[in-house]
Parts: sequence; C-alpha cells; structure tokens
Amino acid sequence: MDTLLEIRDLHAGIEGKEILKGVNLTINRGEVHAIMGPNGAGKSTLSAVLAGRPDYKVLSGSVSYDGRDLLAMAPEERSWAGIFLSFQYPVEIPGVSITNFMKAALNARRKAAGLPELKPAEFLKLLKEKMAFVQMKGEFAKREVNVGFSGGEKKRNEIFQMAMLEPVLSILDETDSGLDVDALRIVADGVNRLRSPQTASIVITHYQRLLEYIVPDVVHVLKNGRIVATGGAELVQQIETQGYDSIDG
Amino acid sequence: MDSVYVIGRDAVPSFLRLAEGESLRMTIVVPEGESCRLALEIDLDGPGASLDLAGATLSSGGEQVDISVVVRHNVPGCHSGQLFKSVVGGSAKVSFNGLVYVAQDAVRTVAHQQNHSLLLSETAVAESRPQLEIYADDVECSHGATTGYLNPEELFYMRSRGIPEDEARRMQVEAFLAPVLLRAGIDKADSL
Repeated sequence: MDTLLEIRDLHAGIEGKEILKGVNLTINRGEVHAIMGPNGAGKSTLSAVLAGRPDYKVLSGSVSYDGRDLLAMAPEERSWAGIFLSFQYPVEIPGVSITNFMKAALNARRKAAGLPELKPAEFLKLLKEKMAFVQMKGEFAKREVNVGFSGGEKKRNEIFQMAMLEPVLSILDETDSGLDVDALRIVADGVNRLRSPQTASIVITHYQRLLEYIVPDVVHVLKNGRIVATGGAELVQQIETQGYDSIDG
Repeated sequence: MDSVYVIGRDAVPSFLRLAEGESLRMTIVVPEGESCRLALEIDLDGPGASLDLAGATLSSGGEQVDISVVVRHNVPGCHSGQLFKSVVGGSAKVSFNGLVYVAQDAVRTVAHQQNHSLLLSETAVAESRPQLEIYADDVECSHGATTGYLNPEELFYMRSRGIPEDEARRMQVEAFLAPVLLRAGIDKADSL
C-alpha cells in the first residue's frame, strides 16, 4: 500500500476550543474515504486543518502527507503539493474573474515546480476543456469568482477548479449540501472522472445521498472529535436506517 | 471631455465650471509615495451639465493624502457622480471630504457620491466625511462610505488554490481599485 496521508492523534480546535480530540486516519493512493458524522462532530474542522486554515490551531498530533510534515506547510504550499479543498461555503472574490483567478493559481503552481507560465493559448484550451467538464458555458470564465453564483454554481465552480488543478488529494467538504439532483450528478461525475490509482479523495458528508454517486472504499464515522467507527458501505446503511446514535462514540 | 490626472505628473485644476449641456469625465490617481493636498471645486452652472468624477489613491508608507471636493448644483437638471477609492497601508493617512451642494432652484438634480477605503495595516488611517447640502425639492441624491480590511476568508480561499499570500493581497487591492484605474487606462496597481 502506498500511503498518501497519515493523521496521528490529531487534536485541533478554534478560539481555544478543542474540537478534534485525537483523530487517526490513514489514506492510501487510489482510495476514496467517506467521513460521515452528525453536525458539530468536527468534520469541517478536519478539512480546515488539512487545508491549513490560519484560524484553526493544531494542539497536538501529526499529519504526514506524501512523506512531508503537512502541518509545517503554508496553505499555498499544500496546494502546490496536490491538496485541494472543495469548500462547504465557497468564498466570493469581487473584482477577480474566474480566468484571472485560475491563471494566478496555475502559474503559481508551475512557478513552484520550476515550470514556465502557461502560454495564453494553452491556458484557454485547458480552461474550456475543464469548463465543459462541469457543464459551464463560455461567459462563466469572465464572471467574478462566486459573485452572484447560485448554490449549485458555486459547487460546480469548486469541481471546475479541482479539475483545473488536478489534485493528488481532494477533500470535499459537504459538497452535496444544497445541491439539486442535477448539480449533484455533475459534481459526482467530476469527482469520479478524476479518480485514479495515484490520487485519493476524502468525501465529507452528513448524508448518504452523495455516496450513492461517489462510492467510497472506506467509510468513517466522526463523532465528538474522534473517529468512532470505520467500515464499508454497510456503515452508510446503518446510519441511514438507525441514525448516528446507533454508533457508539 | 475625458481627463486623467496623475499626482506627481499632472497639476489638478482647483476650480472648474460646466456650462449648459457640457459633460466632464475626470479621473484623479494618487500613486504610491505621493503625499498631497487636493482641493477641487466644480460648479454645474448650465442646465443638463454632467460630471463623472473618480479618484483612486494607493498609499503604503507614511503618505498624507487630503482630498476635498465641492460639487455645486446651481441650476436644474444636472448630474454628478463621484467615486473615490483608497487603499491605505503602513502609517499613511488619507482623508476625503466631499460636499455636494444643491441650490434651491436646482430641481431634478441627480447626485451620487461613494467613498470606499481599504486598510492594509492597523496603523493606516482613512477618514471619510461625505456631506450633502440640499435646498431643492425633487432631487435624487445619495452618498455612501465604507472602510474595511482585506477579507481573511478571501485570502485563505486564494491561498488554498496555490496563490501565494502576497500575490493574493495584490489581486485584492487591484480588484478594489480597478473600477477607477481602468478609467485612467491603468490595468495594474503595480505600475502606480
């Protein structure tokens, strides 16, 4: 097994409040892991800590990513190393177009890898290809990032960015919340098409619905800041029929 | 008429008068490193005159920028629009005083004034004093002012996509000033 991410006894929180209370998780390349749990279990804290959100503080424990100390890396360095977080609440950036945003993101990554900037024609080709991937039309590229987007458009924009950046580890934080069935299909299709033996995903969700479209290899239940159960699809069924209370934590 | 004034390069007139049907589009840019005291008065003296005034300031050290604008609507049916945007960093201080005066006869006046400031440091100061002095009925007048810091959520979102922090900040500053800078034919805050 080729381990991509190893979280050991991770304690973390925000504003002096401990939310993760000893998370252990190992993810190998090629795997899709689902993390399910009730509201307030720490799901979003886990994704925030993995992406390096500055207001979240790690209290103890370690996270190793591709053999590197993830917690020592700045958010942009994590991105260059292949980590991508699909935000639960994508942020609006007034005055910055999708085109300029993606150009800055791609070129920063290329610079970090010692590669020259993409030529305008190459960039446009890539942009069009990935827009088609999430069924976005031409004017999308000129719009300001997430400004005035519907909930479904924001989530499709996340998957579009994911397709542009071709991450090694994608973390989808409640990407299914607020999506209608059509948008959910587009998002799930996008994720499934990016699956490969080299990459891995963490799908964080409250509901089983998304997991009908993105079938996980491993399912974890996060409750009160700890992973209290790990299993396969049967765990999803148990939660669906008996609720989170049926799983001890 | 469309005129652009860059402080340090151009002298800004202190008094202008617009006659009947005249229209003026004026853009003032105060680049980084420039301290200045600007006092500008514009009289709308002929019916149907129209003023479209915008300004951008970028200060990041110890600059002192003081802008005061008086726009007088003296006759009916004139339009004025003002948009001033300031990015203030370091220990710079930028103040904006904007008075819109509407005379008693100046019915059907349309006057709008906006002043927005973005602070880049705790020691930067932005002062905004918009004033409306209206003696006529049947007018459409408004003013608005905001002052804020760079949004940390936006910064983290950009960094999570691999855009380094300093570049993310620069993009936000550029996006903030863009509505004014584009009028002046400047498309990058770098070149200020």
